[in-house]
Amino acid sequence: MVDYLIILFAVTLIYFASAERLVNYVRLIGIQGLLLFGIAIFELKEINSANMIFIAAETLLIKTIIVPYLLGRIIKRSGVAKVHRQAMPGFYLLILSIFALLFSVIIANLVLNQYINTVFMAIALFTLFTGLLLIVTHKLIISHLIGFLVIENAVFLFSMAVGNRMPMLINIGILLDIFVGVLILGFFGLRLKPRTNELTLLKD
Amino acid sequence: MAVIILIIITALFFPGIILRIKSIASGRKGPGVLQPMKEIAILFRKGSVFGDTSGIIFRISPAISLSAVVCAMMVLPFGNLKAVISFEGDFIFFSYILALGKFFSIIGALDTGSSFEGMGANRETFFSMLIEPAFFILLATFAMFTGHTSFSDIFAGFHISSDHFILIYSILAVYIIIQIAVVENSRVPVDDPKTHLELTMIHEVMILDNSGFDKALIHIGSYLKFAVFGTLLYNVVVPAGINTILQIALFFSIQFVFALTIGLVESFRARNKMNKNPKFILTISAVAWIAFVLILIMTNKLT
Repeated sequence: MVDYLIILFAVTLIYFASAERLVNYVRLIGIQGLLLFGIAIFELKEINSANMIFIAAETLLIKTIIVPYLLGRIIKRSGVAKVHRQAMPGFYLLILSIFALLFSVIIANLVLNQYINTVFMAIALFTLFTGLLLIVTHKLIISHLIGFLVIENAVFLFSMAVGNRMPMLINIGILLDIFVGVLILGFFGLRLKPRTNELTLLKD
Repeated sequence: MAVIILIIITALFFPGIILRIKSIASGRKGPGVLQPMKEIAILFRKGSVFGDTSGIIFRISPAISLSAVVCAMMVLPFGNLKAVISFEGDFIFFSYILALGKFFSIIGALDTGSSFEGMGANRETFFSMLIEPAFFILLATFAMFTGHTSFSDIFAGFHISSDHFILIYSILAVYIIIQIAVVENSRVPVDDPKTHLELTMIHEVMILDNSGFDKALIHIGSYLKFAVFGTLLYNVVVPAGINTILQIALFFSIQFVFALTIGLVESFRARNKMNKNPKFILTISAVAWIAFVLILIMTNKLT
């Protein structure tokens, strides 16, 4: 079951490369949160109950509901619907994304050892690359923010790769979530006039 | 040999079924199922007209394109009956014999000296190049999963395993094959065979200068190619060892559903903008690549 969830997670990452609307990005972030919740429930069996409840609540509440809701509000306020300001066409992003998956699988196989789950490692690396690509290839701040959220999901997956042995690492991953929540609230609290360029375009 | 007869029978009705579906979906009375064949018969009765600028390549390209598709039919198995020609690595032969046919139709288009046909050839080459990884990743996954590199052995061994992920992989494979067939046959959403503006054409603009007998050969090649991809679908979906009559019934059912899908897509979906096509086609390769990783994970090759 976990393998299917992991594959679905990889599918959402490919969709990131081909999606053209910010609202799809937000939906994908929500879906990723839900998938991470499923993965955490199925994978982390040796962890204590308090930690487990904390992780479940964090993935389900913050990743799936609160962060996408806040992002949705920002998109609505800024009035930007499409990811139209890109440093390169989406076609190249898709090519890079496919190569990122290839490299992730190769690297995960190279670092093969008994303490690390290779499947998690491969998809976590792919998630990391996708997040970096989103940041590098997009010009809107909101896309950068979404790229950062994807990287944060990568950290969560990395921690899952060694999760049963290092529960502390998962908690650190969750702290990143809270940081992003504060960051989004920072945007949200600015109460800027909803002008596209002020709120969303990265200044050179 | 049975597979060749079945493919030819399918190709007789395939374009007619698509036409009927489209006409029913749009509320028209529409032409009969055999209308495309009647048009082919008319074209066969006509002679070909060649432009002054066209040379020998233009004259031979329709025949080579058709013969390439016929050669590709030879390596396809049907259920537990082996293909007419079967050898290790025949899926590479299948892919590149189809590519050879396309290559000749492209250089045939360039040979006319028309700028429109050159433009169409350029687009067709680009899209074919982009769809090729999807096809090879798909077949490489089949080969990795079954341990064989011949279509006959691959499809004989594909459904033997009782692993639960076969169903999921079959669904992915069906999706990828349908998309590849759409791109290879230049249909909606990548191309629109009914378009009348040369600037937006892809495949149709390449064959603008072909007429009469040559045009009939090109159309037959296209219909056969649909049936060939339908046969691939059949082999992915239906296990090899079942009753022959049931197999034939299932073969025609799958081909009918395939034609129905194409017809419905063409009825209810607009074609892509030209600049969206590369991304659309590359997404198919990405899905094939995800399917490859799925099999890697499920067969414990990535643990």
